[in-house]
Amino acid sequence: MDAFLVWFDDFWAVYSNLILTLGINALLALSIWLTLACGVLALANAAFMGIGAYAGALATMNYDSPFALSLAAAMAAPSLVALAIGLPVLRLGGVYLAMATLGFGEVVRIVILNTDSITGGALGLNGIPQYTQWWHVLLALAIVVFVLARLQRSRTGRAFEAIKVDETAASLMGVDIRAHKLLAFVLGAAIAGLAGALNAHLTFFIGPQEYGFDRGVEILTMAILGGIGSLIGPIIGAFFLTLLPEVLRGLADFRLIVNGFILVAVVLFLPNGLWDPARFRHWFGRRRS
Amino acid sequence: MRFMRSAIVALAVSASAVASQAAEVKIGVAAALSGLAAQYGAAIRNGFELAAEEINAAGGVNGNTIKLVIEDEQGKKEEAINVFKKLIFQDKVLLVFGPTLSNSGAAAHPVAQAAKTPAFATSNTADGITAVGNYIFRNAVTEADVLPVTLKTVVDKAGVKKVAVLYGNDDVFTKSGYDNFAKALKDQNIAVTTTETFAKGDVDFKAQLTKIKASEPDAIVLSALQAEGGPILVQARQLGITQPFVGGNGVNSPKILELAKEASDNLWVGSPWSASNDSPENTRFIEAYKKKFGTAPDQFAAQTYDALHIVAAALKKVELTGDLAKDRAALRDALPDIAWTGATGPFKFRQALDKSGKPAGYDADQQPIVSVTKDGAYQIVK
Repeated sequence: MDAFLVWFDDFWAVYSNLILTLGINALLALSIWLTLACGVLALANAAFMGIGAYAGALATMNYDSPFALSLAAAMAAPSLVALAIGLPVLRLGGVYLAMATLGFGEVVRIVILNTDSITGGALGLNGIPQYTQWWHVLLALAIVVFVLARLQRSRTGRAFEAIKVDETAASLMGVDIRAHKLLAFVLGAAIAGLAGALNAHLTFFIGPQEYGFDRGVEILTMAILGGIGSLIGPIIGAFFLTLLPEVLRGLADFRLIVNGFILVAVVLFLPNGLWDPARFRHWFGRRRS
Repeated sequence: MRFMRSAIVALAVSASAVASQAAEVKIGVAAALSGLAAQYGAAIRNGFELAAEEINAAGGVNGNTIKLVIEDEQGKKEEAINVFKKLIFQDKVLLVFGPTLSNSGAAAHPVAQAAKTPAFATSNTADGITAVGNYIFRNAVTEADVLPVTLKTVVDKAGVKKVAVLYGNDDVFTKSGYDNFAKALKDQNIAVTTTETFAKGDVDFKAQLTKIKASEPDAIVLSALQAEGGPILVQARQLGITQPFVGGNGVNSPKILELAKEASDNLWVGSPWSASNDSPENTRFIEAYKKKFGTAPDQFAAQTYDALHIVAAALKKVELTGDLAKDRAALRDALPDIAWTGATGPFKFRQALDKSGKPAGYDADQQPIVSVTKDGAYQIVK
């Protein structure tokens, strides 16, 4: 037992940051899953994460607020912004919505860059106290998963499903399309903001370039690669994408090449994502017969 | 017979090399070998490998060979933390070099400080890097030290009284360069005719340059990276702006000469390292680097090359006990007193202060070299 404890101490010292990042990335993947579950392709989650990260970090650094309050601020700020831009933007559909939300991400980045006196501009915020503990991330992930699982089985969740499959049919059944889309958008923003603040209080530093296009695509990839059919998919996708480069670290210079090959292979052979129960049943069934 | 003897000597030498390999000093390197900062990471790795090879060929430090453990941190802050933790807790290195970018350093250095492991930054010029604590060192000369010297040289040599300022406001490096220029201009009482900005990825700077031309400055202070710096110089010369440009480290690279060709003339830059510096140490470094890697070194390679030599000099004064915590502390205690003359000239450490003015880590205390471009080459201003 003692030997195990020593081993675990060593393991935790090396990998604690990676494990907490797994949880935070899972939150991000779930935040975009929420809008995808509603058939809405919005790519503003990186920007919401940034707003949350800055709101949380500024609350902690400038107002010495307790961590819980900083996290609350980090969820409230992006939700309010999502509410404000959601009303006009969600009237768009498909690719046009994706473009508008990408544009919004750029706006957030430029605003952060040009408000140096508050956000530190291009230099970012430095020396954020490290408050995030493992149980904060675990608890946040557990609560979010629980809430989303309940939501999925509720009337609202069924409405999301209906909108995703056929918007016109859903509206004829009396589902308020705009209100439901807005709800998914705002809730997603709150989760992304929470993830942003947890990340900011883990890595001592945040800067505007972290929340740009690259991060947005990464979040989307995690959800899609994992599979958006259920809640488990995005979490698996986030874990997979975060762990893969670390597992392949031994390959040194070939790491990113192999990383890319594996991702292509996954997309080719598991087009519905890593978590695809129907395909598993298909494989399983074939093997038995 | 003679052949036999030399063979025996060779055998004995290789045997002793094997024997000394029994004691290895592990030094970690966290560098951005992939991602957007990979161009710097490659030069950084080369500089370390060259220095390690030289030190080990010369018998190592106190009979121990130096073993580099090089890890890729992709220029991302999360990766930098992961790599620092791996190097410190898993590979159990004595000291960690890196990471490549200042932002990553801000995230990763607190890890090293908490683990009481010396961290040595070779390419991080931002303010506050060494404010983290007494285990943080750097030999990268900050822009805060270089730019005032560059500016003063231009004022003395070219008779500049008023300048226009042009900088990129969406990049850490160019923005902090601007902040330091602005402070130096104020300190030296140089009038600013106009301040213009641009963004990363811009290709047309004629609007800003026309305004600058109309304000009739004696010189133009430029805080830009290569990609924008090159076109800015070309377009300025096209518009008939003949005044000298004063640049930071971002435009201090042979790449600028390639990009701007003859338009790059009359660009003044300051740096701790210059390819045209013909000191014996630098000449030896450049020759050895070209021989090993087949390309010309840059400033990042020169700084890492010197950094490992500085650490080796400190290690010579440390008696390694095999107790990791003790050895790391001993190395930390030995480092601040090291003085070294390498590719970047005479070097020693200077105590840095944290935000509240208390002593923290150690910055570089080094005189920058100011050069001006002429006919496609850097010429040192004496």
